[in-house]
Amino acid sequence: MAALPEVPSLGKVLVIGGCGFLGSHIVSLIVKRHPQSQIAVLDLRTNLNRNASPIVSYHDCDITNLDAVQSVFATVKPDVVIHTASPHFNAKSEIHNKVNVEGTKILLKAAQDSKVKAFVYTSSASVVLDPTRELVNADETWPLVMGDRQPEYYTTTKAYAEIAVLEANRTPSDFLTCAIRPAGIFGEGDVQLLPKMVTAFRKGQTKFQVGQNNNLFDFTYVENIAHGHLLAAQALLHTHSILPTVPLDSERVDGEAFFITNGQPVYFWDFARAVWHEAGDRLPLSSVWHLSDDVAWAIGTLLESVFWVLGKTPNLTRAQVRYSTMTKYHSIEKARRRLGFAPVVGLDEGIRRGVGYILEQEEKEKQKKGQ
Amino acid sequence: MVSASSVGYYLFHPQELRSIIQWKVWHNPVHERDETKESETLQRCFHFLDLTSRSFSAVIKELHPDLLVPVALFYLVLRGLDTIEDDMTIPLEKKEPILRNFQDLLEKDGWTFTENGPNEKDRQLLVEFNVVIEEFKKIKPEYKVIIKDITKRMGNGMADYANNAEHNINGVNTIKDYELYCHYVAGLVGEGCTRLFVEAGLANPVLLKRPELMESMGQFLQQVNIIRDIKEDIDDKRRFWPKEIWSKHVAKFEDLFEPENKEKALACSSEMILTCLNRADDCLYYLAGLKEQSVFNFCAIPQSMAIATLDVCFQNHDIFKKNVKITKGQACQLMLESSQNLKLVCDVFQRFTRSIHKKNNPHDPNFLKISIACGKIEQFIESIFPSQKKPEGAAGVPVMTAEEAAKKKAEEQEAKWDMIYMIMAVVITLVVITSSMLFVAWLAGARFDLAFGQAKQQLGELFGSGSDAKNTIAPSSDHSEL
Repeated sequence: MAALPEVPSLGKVLVIGGCGFLGSHIVSLIVKRHPQSQIAVLDLRTNLNRNASPIVSYHDCDITNLDAVQSVFATVKPDVVIHTASPHFNAKSEIHNKVNVEGTKILLKAAQDSKVKAFVYTSSASVVLDPTRELVNADETWPLVMGDRQPEYYTTTKAYAEIAVLEANRTPSDFLTCAIRPAGIFGEGDVQLLPKMVTAFRKGQTKFQVGQNNNLFDFTYVENIAHGHLLAAQALLHTHSILPTVPLDSERVDGEAFFITNGQPVYFWDFARAVWHEAGDRLPLSSVWHLSDDVAWAIGTLLESVFWVLGKTPNLTRAQVRYSTMTKYHSIEKARRRLGFAPVVGLDEGIRRGVGYILEQEEKEKQKKGQ
Repeated sequence: MVSASSVGYYLFHPQELRSIIQWKVWHNPVHERDETKESETLQRCFHFLDLTSRSFSAVIKELHPDLLVPVALFYLVLRGLDTIEDDMTIPLEKKEPILRNFQDLLEKDGWTFTENGPNEKDRQLLVEFNVVIEEFKKIKPEYKVIIKDITKRMGNGMADYANNAEHNINGVNTIKDYELYCHYVAGLVGEGCTRLFVEAGLANPVLLKRPELMESMGQFLQQVNIIRDIKEDIDDKRRFWPKEIWSKHVAKFEDLFEPENKEKALACSSEMILTCLNRADDCLYYLAGLKEQSVFNFCAIPQSMAIATLDVCFQNHDIFKKNVKITKGQACQLMLESSQNLKLVCDVFQRFTRSIHKKNNPHDPNFLKISIACGKIEQFIESIFPSQKKPEGAAGVPVMTAEEAAKKKAEEQEAKWDMIYMIMAVVITLVVITSSMLFVAWLAGARFDLAFGQAKQQLGELFGSGSDAKNTIAPSSDHSEL
């Protein structure tokens, strides 16, 4: 598909979880790119990451409460729903099930009942990640991995929700849905990836490196993911405008899932070292200790058992060993072709912005303490 | 020929020695030229081919018979052009018209050129250029058109550079200029060769519709040469590294060679290598479009050598001090691996890509970009030769959700009973039909008692003789007497 023409407005857009890390970036990108849209943000708490633009309104609401959700839909009357809400990865299983599965179904029902045209769901690239195999240039034809084959309950619930969203496509016939599967999201405001890496640098862990470092890994700057969501919304609106004509199977966006990454897989430790360099690390490569996978695994096992007795989590765990030595990257050909997707911010620029943001926050903290 | 140092080297690198021997002993040319059928002038042409190019003459001489002479002549023509362009003893007024009209000189019977300086190493080729012209007459007109077209464009490009005073004093300025220069001296060769291959029906015509691929083939080789020859070129007062790149690292081009600027020089060479490395996946893509083995070898061998050279130059400060090369053993190893199939060439590319990646310095300004370039090559190889089988399970069909799992279990239970009922129904039907038929037969007077008795007897005989046959022959003959 060729690049879509400039669209000043996406109509009335409801961003679920618009105060979260990804959600707030989506809101800013709509404000920037489609300034004639009207944006409503629905979130559990809307005091964080608020956008100052007058076209954005905020609604406190729990998505597991059907009545509350329906009343927000009745007020906003959205054309487009972008659903990015998800609990923190480490939350309890019941929460994951309640928010990701039940919450998504409630949102779908509310959307189906209120003439929403397009529903874009933020899934996760790990829905195809099987604990026993690596992901080498995986595409969307890979089967979902969930239930007893999926050790991460969070991922199982993301997959269930994705299925629910895609099954709801064209029911009713003018309700269109699709799913975006981002991989390795990072950027300003991320709480998982960059802060952990910067902390590792501060603790002096840059001296170690596990494995051969031949494993390519997808990391994605948050704005590129936001960009993917907006392209998907635009594509669904376009499909909606030509109803009841159905696009060719090879061009279809509704009812489909898309991997969205930076399209720049890099060797795992290279990404970490680029982040560390940005944070101030100047350790020469020759001074880095290279641990083989097996040795690291053994140490991880040992540390985990010792720390288990102490009731703490060690600096090196088996899960970390696995993550840093596995290949995990995807093909984004489908998104390139059907959504016209191409990353708008390169990996190095993304790291510069993301680490710059962390250092800035730290500086602010310091000044506060100094006062 | 064999120096003491090389004996020492191969003593400690037996693997490389093995490659040399393997190549010399086992390599069978795909095609061999038949010298007995060649005219005297053609033999002279091949003589010049050997003289002017060591690396290319071997692969050219193994080319498919349809392409052998055209490609050899194409090479000699461009070599002749290059010998005029290179020679600083020829005044510009004299040089320019020759460069711009070289394509017409190709059809001027008996044309030769004797005014090259005495130090120009290929001057003899131009002194006897009439042999090339003589042979050029004989090739297919379609090939002539291609060779003349490329010669014309290259000659004009060279003349433009020769006229450009700024270029002559300061060397190449921007990255765009640098790539344009490489286009004239190498990208055009890529185009010419591709058109010859397609004309001969030995390459996929689609290659002509993706011109960036053949451009990259030439650019990749030329850029590697420019990176590797930095020292040699500066000694000859030539500069091909674009100012746009080196000025980010040092103030004056000569500063790159100062020992105290080692880090900066390395960062600068990394950026040059990055620019080049970004073309590697295009080259592999191009190779996938070649149909014939000799053409594949002709194209793949130089590319493998180029990525290997890129690897020895990467993070190697010696390139600013001397001419860095891959060893003869490595070269033979690469020729063995690059004269078979695309998969092996991809393995070569992956090997050197990873070697480059291993040496990548996290504090280099282009560290992550180089890592991305390496990742891009690996991902491309993965896209044509997937290392992993897609897990079974139809496209995107979900395994199932929790409630669906329960539902499916119930369905399976139901299906199981359905199956049991079905089998029972079939059995009952059969029993009913059979018994009613038997009953009708009995009514009609069938003697089941006799039939049963007979059947029993026959069965007894059958089993009786059957079991006897398994024993010795003698008892069975006893039976027959009964």
